[in-house]
Formats: sequence, C-alpha cells, structure tokens
Amino acid sequence: MHDPAKVGLDGSEFTITPADTILVTGANGFVGSRVVRTLLSYGFERVRCLMRTANISEFREKGLKWENVEIVEGNLLSRDTCKAVTDGASVIYHLAAGVETSYAGCVLNSAVATRNLLDAAASEPKMKRFVSISSIAVYSNEKIPRGGLFDEACEVDARLVDRNEPYTYGKAKQDEIVLDYGKRANLPYVIVRPSVVFGPGKSKITDRIGTATFGVFLHLGGSNRIPLTYVDNCAEAIVLAGLRRGIDGQVFNVFDDDLPKSREFLKLYKRNVRRFLSVPVPYTVWYCFCFLWEWYSRWSEGQLPPVLNRRVCSVYWKGNTYSNEKAKELLGWNPRVSMDEALKKYFAYVRETADHR
Amino acid sequence: MIKVGIIGCGKVADKHASQILRIRGCEIVGACDQEILMADQLAERFGIRHRFSSVQDLLATCHPDVVHITTPPQSHYTLARQCLEAGCHIYVEKPFTLTSKEAEELIDLASTRGQKLIVGHETQFMPVARDMRRLIHDGYLGGPPVHMESIYCYEFTNERYARALLGDKTHWVRRLPGGLLQNIISHGIGKIVEYLQDDKLSVLAHGFTSRVLEGMGETGIIDELRVIILDGHRTTAYFTFSSQLSPALHQFRVFGPKNSLLADHERQMLVRIPKKSYRSYLNQFIPPFTEAGQHAASGCRNIGRFLRRQFHAESGLHFLIGEFYKSFTENAPLPIPYRDILMTSRIMDEVFNQLRSSSPSVQQVTPIHNL
Repeated sequence: MHDPAKVGLDGSEFTITPADTILVTGANGFVGSRVVRTLLSYGFERVRCLMRTANISEFREKGLKWENVEIVEGNLLSRDTCKAVTDGASVIYHLAAGVETSYAGCVLNSAVATRNLLDAAASEPKMKRFVSISSIAVYSNEKIPRGGLFDEACEVDARLVDRNEPYTYGKAKQDEIVLDYGKRANLPYVIVRPSVVFGPGKSKITDRIGTATFGVFLHLGGSNRIPLTYVDNCAEAIVLAGLRRGIDGQVFNVFDDDLPKSREFLKLYKRNVRRFLSVPVPYTVWYCFCFLWEWYSRWSEGQLPPVLNRRVCSVYWKGNTYSNEKAKELLGWNPRVSMDEALKKYFAYVRETADHR
Repeated sequence: MIKVGIIGCGKVADKHASQILRIRGCEIVGACDQEILMADQLAERFGIRHRFSSVQDLLATCHPDVVHITTPPQSHYTLARQCLEAGCHIYVEKPFTLTSKEAEELIDLASTRGQKLIVGHETQFMPVARDMRRLIHDGYLGGPPVHMESIYCYEFTNERYARALLGDKTHWVRRLPGGLLQNIISHGIGKIVEYLQDDKLSVLAHGFTSRVLEGMGETGIIDELRVIILDGHRTTAYFTFSSQLSPALHQFRVFGPKNSLLADHERQMLVRIPKKSYRSYLNQFIPPFTEAGQHAASGCRNIGRFLRRQFHAESGLHFLIGEFYKSFTENAPLPIPYRDILMTSRIMDEVFNQLRSSSPSVQQVTPIHNL
C-alpha cells in the first residue's frame, strides 16, 4: 500500500478525508482500474465505481480490494444515473470516454456524457473537485518546431475537424464543456492530459512509433522521443490531481521521465518480444505521403477518408521534447515506476499475451 | 437550390451529410437533434449554419424542401408526419416505420399532399445492384424470376457494437418490436420485394437465438432468421439473416427460367450464370474459365470505378439521394416505389408476428434414436 506521507502528502494537503466519497467513472478501464487501486492504496474508504456493465469478476481479477468499493452499473447518458452516482461525492475522476470510430459516438460518450455528469456534479453540495481526463492529442504542435518543447502552454488545436480524429475531437469538446462549467457554474475542476499510456493490459505499439496498416511495419518515429506514461504512474498523477489543494482550474500533461526514442523502443521491443521486419520512413517522406493522401481524399470527395493528413502527421510524427515539470511541481507527482522497469513489465505482458494466443 | 434538413445527428447522419454535400445544387440548412451538442457537432463539421434541438424550430426557421430523418426507428412515424405536414419531402432511414399500418398512413399522407418520400435502402443502389437491375430489365433471366435468395449477415464480432447492444439492456434496438431484426432485415427483404410479381404473399418465418449469443447469456435477441416467401405468381424467395455465418455474406441470387444472377454486395461482384452446355467433359472444363473471366472483369470494373471516383463506400446512398431529389425536382419516378416500401413493411410485420407466436407451423421431426 502506498503511504501518502511517503509521497510528501499529509492529510492537510488533501482536499478530502479518507471518509469522503469519491466517484470514478470508467472504473473498469485500462487506466480507471488503476486509479481505483491507487485510491484504495492511499487509504480512501469510499470509492464509488461507475461502469457500463458491472463485470465484477473482471474487476476482482484486476486485484482490487473491493470491500471499500461501491460498484454502480449505469450509463452517463442517463441523467438519473448521473444524479445517483454523484450523490454525496466530493471528488469525481471522470475517465469514461467515447472510444468509438465515429464522431457521433465519441461526442456522445465524451462530450454529452460529461455535460450530464457536470450538471449533476454542479448541484452536489459536497463537490470539491471534478477531474476530467483528456489527452495530449488535443494540442496542436503546428507552431512548435521539430524538437521544440511541448507542454501545457501549447495551443489546443483549433482545427481539429481537419485532423479527422473522432476520439480527439470528442475529447476537445469534453474539455470545452468542463471549462465552461468551471466558468459558469464555478465548479472546481482540473484537467489531466495523459500522453500515450502503456503497460500490462494494452499490447498495441503506439502509432507514434509506427504502423502496420499497409502490411509491413513502417517505422515512423525515427529518433523522436515518444511521449509515454506507464499506466500506474499515470493513475497516480490523476489521483493526485483530485487531491492536491490549490490547483483548481489547472491543466496537467502527464509524461514519465526518461522517455525513450522511437528507435530505442522498437529495438527493445524486438529484442524482448518478437522480431519482425520494420521499414524506417523519414518524416519528410511520410509528410509528403500524408499530403498526397489528403489531396486524393479531397479530390475523390472522400472515396478514401482523410485519415492521413498533414496535421495528423505533424502531431504524431514531427517529434518534440516533453516536460512534466508542472505535474511534478504542483501535484507533487513523481513517476514511481522507472521507464526501464515499466518497459520490462510491458514487454513481459506483450510476450505473455502473444504466447497465450 | 434544394434546402435540406437533417433530424437526428448520430452516426448515420454523417453518411447522409457527406453524400448530400456531393450533390450539386443542395445546401444543408439545418441540423436538429434532441441533444443540442449532437446537432452542434454535425453542424460544425459539415458547415451547417443552423442547429436546433426542436424539430418545430428547424421547420419554422429553415423551411427545408426535404428532410432526412436519421433518428432511431421509434420516432420515424411521428417525425415523418410532422415534416410532411410542414410541406417537406422526406427521406426516412430504414426501417421505414415500426409497422406497415404506419407506413401506409405516411404514404397516403404524402400522396394526398403531393409530396415524396423514400426509405433508406441504399444497398439496393450500390453499383453491383444497379448492374443486376439493368440486366434483369434487359431480360437476361429469360422471364420473371422463379426464385430468389437473399443472404444478409451481421457480425457480432464487431466488439464495440456488440458491447453497446449486448451490454445495454435498455438499448433502443432492444426496444424495437422486432428487436435487432427490425433494425436490419429490411435491407435484405427489400431486395426480394423489388422482384416479386404481386402482393399476394405467403410468409413462413423461423427465428432463434444462436448458441454463441446464448453462451454469452443473451436470450432476448433473435440473431438467426430464415424466411420463405411465396407470391401469387408462385415466385419464391428465401431470406437468411445470420450473425454466425462466416464470412459475413451479403448476397442476392436471382434464378430465372433461362439464366441466373448472383450479386455479391460485399465484393461488389456480379456473376452471370448462363444456361449454356458444352459437349461431354467440356461442360466441366470451359465454364470455370468463363466464370473466372467474369470475376477478373468484376475486379477490373471495380478498379476502374475507383479510379473514376465512383466507388465510394456510400455510393448507393449518394445515388439514392440523387434519384430521390430528382423525383421532386424533375418529376422523375421514385427510385423505390411505394409498393416496395409497403410490401417490405408487411413482410416484416408477418415475420415478427410469427416469431412472437413461436412459429406454430414449424413442426419437430421425430428424432432418430437407434441407428
């Protein structure tokens, strides 16, 4: 069990006490289940978990001490559910999100669901903080040169429609709604934007490193630093964003320390998991390909959807440097699991999953 | 300029909006959804000027010439009526209505008022279906169809949709009187109806829950359906709906008195099966090569269409919308006659009636024990 004192926190630095009720939406998800575990390890006694289908055995398999957990089955699209789950909650960790491939699905399950939850949260007298989980994908790095610093000061992409990324669009809409409630309803909020979350439970190599869409693995990341955060580290940053005093209205990006370069990651992956052919593609070549794809998509009136385009290319493969200083300073967060250890655990999981298959 | 309104801003509305914008002389003037955030997102992405959460406001403010109704089927009848009464032509997504009685009422209302309506059976207008229609009209079958087979599969392996439907006991698809079947089968039935000779129909339906779904603890959803249809001219048809066939087929076969045709909607491939015989073993040597030639030609045709920008995934929808608009701008015939809409609705009514009454006409054959 983590002792909060060990991470430089005592009761006075928390917005709430262990007896207060905490709501976690998307609690059986990849990150959500880790958030619940971290909260329990911090000694919180009333954690309410909302999930669409209450698969309790799955929840148990994730090793959660579940006598301190109240499991609620429901959908945030129901206002009654929102009212019921926010009742008496002091902190809400909102991790549920639309991860569909359609814009409608993403907006519905990210933006509309969040609006419903915020409506209920705004009328809850005990509410101390709403922690909304967004993504670093909502930023634009258009004005940052290759290798330039990417942090919380970056602009949120104002032309997300052109990127043709429903998930990111849904997340950006969610952020807008949270900001609006913060302003209009005076709701205390914090937005957390994790980078690429990895760890046991998710085996796919991030597209920022490369893609096998065209039959062979195209290595697109080159020598870029890959913005990664290990799932347990990310969960702890999220938890702290709900607990620390004096950070209302802040936005935090979550990156781990010692981010590996794309080619280092790939080399380690091949050494530790399996060998496969990868073809390195320089950024300028890929950028031209994305440009051609974008042009063809427009010319053919969408016969091929513009899934590859210059804006997407820039965000994912241009290459930046990343800072987690703000999260460290204001949240008192430090990634407990080092990058070496995190990668080892991840590779072991992928190997095991592959063997199992 | 044709002024278009869209009611219901979910996933299907995206397809409509993108295809409407490809038709010259159209403007989407308003997007409407009970949930204003949904209307906002559609409007923002497709450059639609007005967005509404009330249908009345859409109709009163934008005065659309035509309204596309892309809401869940439970609301089709009420919304369609409201739009017809406001003087709009209407495009209603499938299934047209919940019952054939509602379908009749809407068609009567539209006919009385001199307005047009259509149902979204766009798969009947994909390139392969249009090729098939042309051949049949040119007499390739050698007479009216003798028999048809329509296979329409549905993949529960689409984890996200399956999770959404199976994990949500209140999902709107479950609340349809015909459940999952009602939301899907009109595509496959509509293809048969187009070539039936009259409307004196007999229908025999048998439906059940697949073992796979049952194994997932799901017993309330019928995901396997077999239907036999017979018309007054003794044209017969089989309709198969399955979530378990693999690969998931979308095929339509028409057998004529002389020749037959097979349309593979998944691969956009049309195969002619001519009545042509050769001497002796040549009967087994030559036809495989001629059929292989047809497959190769289909591949070339598809590539050609792709290169000419005529092979959009939604090209059926684009064609259907275009033809529908011509029906009220140029007084062209409706691409889907009202007779077909009604017959599809009636067959579906009968299927669901039989499934509800646990198919009394299906008798168990005595099992064989001592072999």
